Formats: sequence, C-alpha cells, structure tokens
Amino acid sequence: MVFAVVSLVTALAAPGAFAQLAPVEPASPNAEGIRDSYLFVSIFVVAIFVLVEGLLIAFIWKYRRQKRARFDDGAQVHGATNLELVWTAGPVLVLAAIAAFVFVELPGIKNVPAAGASGDLEIRVTGRQFYWQYEYPNGVIAVDRMRAPAGVPVRLVVTAPDEDVIHSWWIPALGGKIDAIPGRVNETWFEASREGVFRGQCAELCGAEHARMLAEVEVLSRAAFAAWLEERRDEQTAGTSELGQELWEGVCAKCHGLAGEGGIARRIAGSTILQDPEAVEDIVRNGRRTMPAVGAGWTSEQIEALTTYLQESPPSGN
Amino acid sequence: MATRVETTPAWQRGKVVSWLVTTDHKRIGILYIGTSLLCFVLSGAMAMVMRLQLAQANADVVSPDRYNELVTIHGTSMVFLVGVPILAGFANFLVPLMIGAADMAFPRLNAFSYWMFALGGAVLMLSFFANGGAAKAGWTSYPPLSTQTAGTGQDLWILSLHILTVSTVAGAVNFLVTIHNLRTRGMTWTRMPLFVWSIYVYSWLIMAVLPVLSAALTMLLLDRGLSVAGLDVSTSFFRPEDGGSAVLYQHAFWFFGHPEVYIIVLPAFGIISEVLPVFARKPIFGYKAIAFSTVAIGFFSMLVWAHHLFTVGLAIPLQSFFMVASMVIAVPTGMKIFNWLATLWRGNLAFDTPMLFALGFLSLFVIGGLTGIYLAAFPIDWQVHDTYFVVAHFHYTLLGGVVFAIFAGLFYWWPKMFGRLLGETLGKWQFWLLFAGFNITFFPQHFLGLDGMPRRVYTYANDEWETWNLVSTIGSWIMGVAILLFVVNVLRARKGPRVGNDPWQADTLEWYATSPPPPHNFDEVPYVTSARPLYDLRRRLREKRGETGAL
Repeated sequence: MVFAVVSLVTALAAPGAFAQLAPVEPASPNAEGIRDSYLFVSIFVVAIFVLVEGLLIAFIWKYRRQKRARFDDGAQVHGATNLELVWTAGPVLVLAAIAAFVFVELPGIKNVPAAGASGDLEIRVTGRQFYWQYEYPNGVIAVDRMRAPAGVPVRLVVTAPDEDVIHSWWIPALGGKIDAIPGRVNETWFEASREGVFRGQCAELCGAEHARMLAEVEVLSRAAFAAWLEERRDEQTAGTSELGQELWEGVCAKCHGLAGEGGIARRIAGSTILQDPEAVEDIVRNGRRTMPAVGAGWTSEQIEALTTYLQESPPSGN
Repeated sequence: MATRVETTPAWQRGKVVSWLVTTDHKRIGILYIGTSLLCFVLSGAMAMVMRLQLAQANADVVSPDRYNELVTIHGTSMVFLVGVPILAGFANFLVPLMIGAADMAFPRLNAFSYWMFALGGAVLMLSFFANGGAAKAGWTSYPPLSTQTAGTGQDLWILSLHILTVSTVAGAVNFLVTIHNLRTRGMTWTRMPLFVWSIYVYSWLIMAVLPVLSAALTMLLLDRGLSVAGLDVSTSFFRPEDGGSAVLYQHAFWFFGHPEVYIIVLPAFGIISEVLPVFARKPIFGYKAIAFSTVAIGFFSMLVWAHHLFTVGLAIPLQSFFMVASMVIAVPTGMKIFNWLATLWRGNLAFDTPMLFALGFLSLFVIGGLTGIYLAAFPIDWQVHDTYFVVAHFHYTLLGGVVFAIFAGLFYWWPKMFGRLLGETLGKWQFWLLFAGFNITFFPQHFLGLDGMPRRVYTYANDEWETWNLVSTIGSWIMGVAILLFVVNVLRARKGPRVGNDPWQADTLEWYATSPPPPHNFDEVPYVTSARPLYDLRRRLREKRGETGAL
C-alpha cells in the first residue's frame, strides 16, 4: 500500500514518465462515455480505498500491543448485527449507483449515432494472423492502417475468416474493443472528433506474432478522406496503388522480416519463388507447412498487387 | 482412549519409503504443500524471464513462441499446481486436526489424490520438452488457436488438466465426507473453524464446476483430432469452419474458470479468518456473517462467468445481467473485509510474521477487489479487458491476496507441522521485500493497461511503455529475492528451536495436539462448546486455579 502510494506519487512527479490513471484521451463519443463511467466509478473506488486502508492503518497503530503482555486478551467482542447491516447496505447502494450510471451512459456508448447530412460509412474489418484488413463500400482494400473521415459515424463490421483464430479490434481513443471471431459478425463504431493518427493493437492472443498485430486509424477531414478513397479506388483498379507494399509490410514482413531477412519464419530474400507469381499465389492462398493461408479469400487485385510489388522491389535481405 | 499400537510393516518404515506409501493426512498435506511450493518457484521463475523480455521494447530474451509457452504454463501452473493444491495441502493437514478427527474419511483416496496431482504436475512441467514445445494458447486455451496449434504440447496440457481434475475432485469428495461425518463431539456447524467452512464451500464448488471443465477439455481434445485403435475421431464443437462455435468453449471454460478463482480465494480467506483473531487476541468479529458470506460467494461465483466474455459481442441484456451478478459478489466480499477490520478493533495486536502477511493480504486484496468493479461494469471492460489492467487486477487478488495468505498460513502452522518455528527475522525481511516488490511490479501495470498495452504480448512497439515495464521488471526480481529468503528460512528451520503444542496461544483444536501431532492426532479431544475450544479450555484451567484477571 505504501508503495502503491509511492509509485503513484512518483508517477505524477517523474519527468518524462506518464501515469495513465484513466483510459486514454478520447477522440470519439463512445470512448468518452466509457471514460466518464471510469471516472465516476473512481470516485467510489478512491473513497473506499481511503476508508479501508485508513481504518487498517489506524487500527494497526492504535491497537498495537505496546506495554500489554503478549497474550493479554483484546476486547472480547463477537460481532454487531447493526454494523453487519450497515456494511451490507452501504456497498449495495454504491453498486446500485454505479450500475445506474452505466445504464445512463450506455446508449451513448453502444448506439451508433444517426447519420448526419454527410451520411455515414461502413467498413468491414477482418482480423487475420497477423494483420487487419479493411474493405470500404467501394471495394477499396487497406491493411493495418485505416483511413476514416472526422465527424462522420463509422460503423465497423468486425469478423475473422472461418479458418483463422480470434482477434480483438481495439483503438483505445476510439472506443472499447470488440472481438473478431471466426464464424461470427460483430459490430462497433466510432465518430472521430478530430483529425490525427490513433493507434491500437490486437487484444486477443492470436499466435506467435500477436504482439506485432498493430492497427492504426488515420482520421482525415471529410474532403481529404473522400479524395483519398476515390484516388485509391482508381489506383487499385488500375493496379498502380501502394496496396502491394501494404500487403508485404502488413502480411509477409511480420514473420519474414521487412527486408525478407527472416524473423519467426525463414529468410525469403533472394528466393526465386518470389519472382514467380503463380507460386506466390499458391503459397499465399493455401499456406505451406507451418505457414497459415494468409491470403485465402484475397481478390485477384490483391494477389496481383503483391506479386507486382515483389517483382518491382524484391526484398533486399538486410 | 487408549494409545494406538503402530503396526506399520518393516519395509514401510524407511525415511523415504514411509513418505511414498503414507496415507497419513498430515504427511499428505505436507507433500502437497512441498510439491506446490516447488511449482511456485518454477512458475515464478518463468514470470521473471517474461519480465526480463518485457523490460525493454523489442527485446530478444526469448522467442515469441517460447514467450507464449511461458505465459501459458506460468498461468496454468499457478492456478492448477500452486493455488488449488497448496490450499488442498493446508486442508489435508488441518481439517482433521481442526475438527478433532484421527484422519480424513478416505485415507487411501487421499494418497491417490496427491499422487495424481504429482503426476499431472509432472506432465504439465515436462511438456516443455514435447514435440513442438509446451502449449502456447494461454491458460484459457481458447479455440480455434488451441485447436490449430501443431505439436503435442496442447494435448499434454489437456491430459495434465484431466489428471489434475481427477485429483481435485477426489480430494473434494474426501473433504465433504470428512467434514460431514468426522467432527468431534460438540462441534456443531457454527462451532467449526472458519477455515473448515471455507474448505467445505471450496469442495462443493469443485464438485459443481470441475466436471464442466472436463467436458470442455474433452471436446477440445476431440476437435484437435484423435486416433484411437485405428479410428480417427475429429469433431467440430468449437471449429467454426464446420459449424462449431468458438464462443461456446469460452462459456464452458469460464463457467468453471470463475468459480475456480473462488476455489482458490475462499480457503485463503479461511486462513486469514484463523490468523487475525489469534494475533489480535480476540474472537473473530461476526463469525456467522463470515461463514454465510463464504457460502454466498460460492453460490454467486457460478453466476458471473460471462463477465469474461464482455467483448465477444453478447446481447446487452446478457451483459447487464452478468454485470449486476458480478457486483453482487462484491457485497459478501466487502462483509468479510469489514469483519476482519473489526476483528482488529480494540485488539492486542502482535506483529509476528503470520500477522504481517495477513495484514498485507488485507491491504492488497482490497485493491484487487476495487479494480474488479471497473471490470464488472461492462462498457468499462470493453476498454480495459485483456490489457495489463486485468493482469494487475488478478495479481492483486491472487498474488497480493492468496499468496500472502498462504505465507501467513505457512508461518502460522509451520510449528504445528514440524515442531519448530520459521525464523522471524528472515520472515519479516521476506514480508517487506515481497510487499514492496509486489507493488512495484503490479501497480504500474494499471497505467500500462489503461494506456493500451494488451496482455500476453511478447514485446511492444510503443517506447512510452518502457519506463513502467522496466519498473515492473525490477519489482519482479525483488520478489524473487524475497522468495529466496523463504527458501533459506525453510532450510534453516530444520535446526530452529523446538516449540510446544501451542506457541501462539491459539483457539482451535489443531493446537491441542502435539507439535508435530502423532499419526493418530489426539489421544483425547476436549468436548467442544464454542468456536474457540482452546480458549475455553484455558479459561477453565485458569478458573480451576482460582486466578482472575486477563488471560
């Protein structure tokens, strides 16, 4: 307890160190509702903490043995029914208050706001070992980095392919997490209140590279987002987009290394297979030995983007 | 009652053999505790390696797969090879003595329980050497990750848990029959020591929920595919590609898993309820309230499992139910804490090592209980679930809580087990180092979780998390030193001073027997007229001598 306090104080005082005492600064109404609930609960938590630890320390000090004999009796009190009632009813009231507050905040956290004049947006989020894939309504595909407009409700349809494992989508500033579960479709949402890049990562153990399954959301102005989305669609149709590089970095490099130098999976830099589009497609779609089928279900544009990228800029190996 | 004649055959009398063939509940209890402590040291070492890996961002102390193996076996072992069995060890040693019985109801079943535990423990620990390494899907082993992992580690994990379940259930049956039938004359239900109450509820919980774990694990094993006598079995209970439900496993696992927490915590509560009054020189405050709250916690613990599933996308009314049910548990838990505090009130407090650990338990468990309120409120849980906030929370309850209670119990009952005290000076050093190291390790993890660091990651890319991770790692090594002091203390205690039957002037029947007690425990047992038979006895003796004044 003493050290809890000490580390708390150090946390607040130490330069450069941060002490995160509540969920991160929200950038979406749902994250704000959660943070408000957290702070509300904290009022009671801090009060009870001070009460209990305070009584404990006071009793330890006041009733220490001092000059009494080792085995002298303390007061032979066996209990008090009224006190039992008080410390049963007290917590019930506190918990009722907390539950009530949660239910009041809940609609603002759970319900997607109605689409405003600028409409809304639905993005399909698929968790896979070990990357996030996003599909926009116009067919644009992105990996790991999501772009979204500010001030527009964004509905996320979150799932994982049948042959994959469970992941959990979580960008702390944009709300709570929701699991991406094979065979199940979940929904969540955010409405970014400001532009910027918000980071998060997979929150459900999903295998060896779980720790590398990062996600970020880049919030753009509405106009910038609309322009990006359109440009991206044209590029992906024409096969000139950066999707190939995104796939290499998000999907292949997590295990094989950014330059193909090897990581938890073997070195692939210099492998002739990388120059053979059909062989790459076969491995990516079907997996091989311990490698999962990371590209099962990919569109032909995705495959092409990757194979073109590999031919144009083969991994250097260092 | 006549002294029994010992009729042990000659071949069973050897120093080692006598322990291997023993059916004496006291020896079995000591075997349980010793084996669990060994597993505690091993699993603690695993945690220290994990902390080393996390001391810096992008460190390379262990490989990602190895890290996940350590996460999995550390958690599984701390729950199944330390938490449950060490408390079963205390229960084995203490329940017959506390209720004035000569042994457990089924001594041979008792020995069987222990040896199954030892076997299951060996299977789990040795699975590191299996083809493909140990299981690496976490102690919860959620499918499809656990059904897809190649290698035999995951299968050995299932096998080990099956064996341990047999051991635990057999032990629970034995405790129930013993407590129902072997209480000495005058020991009614409301005169039973509170530790025995906690073991009674612990046993019922085991009977109720362990079979569900067995079912879930069997389904998991079948989903992984099994070849028996040329017959290939492969099912899809949890595999979505063939219509199974991955979430079904989570329901089954946590229907077992949450009561499991209380299976471990309740006996720890029981230890605290025994230690506090003795070192406060008072009766426990609110005996009936504490006994009742034990039963209430046990019952409600079976209605809260889905608070572990708040992020899988359950319907809101379901999440609401499980929030309220989880909050309900806080009420009887609060009752206990307030009654313990009231037990200190107007006491004559002595701060021997058992008391220090009991008070440490009280101060730390409160923190774990309070952070639990955030987790029960499901929208808040959507934010902090599966982060280091949760890791901090459950270590405050299980390490700050249960392990501190276990050390309180070890220092308190050691003289009864071995007739010699553990060293007080080393014990106090151990306490303060463990207390400091614990808070330095786990308090900063709240900050990390709130800032977005998920649990079960072998590394992190965010440099801002480095400071608190380093602090946490330093704390874990301070705890390592504290545990080392305990090992030294145990080794030195073999030459420590002998003590009499009742060095603490305690109130319960185990202190009426000699230290250590003979194989049959008691030559005679005093008639029990209250929850404090030895206090009554001392008072009667004093009255006989015509003394007055304080005892």
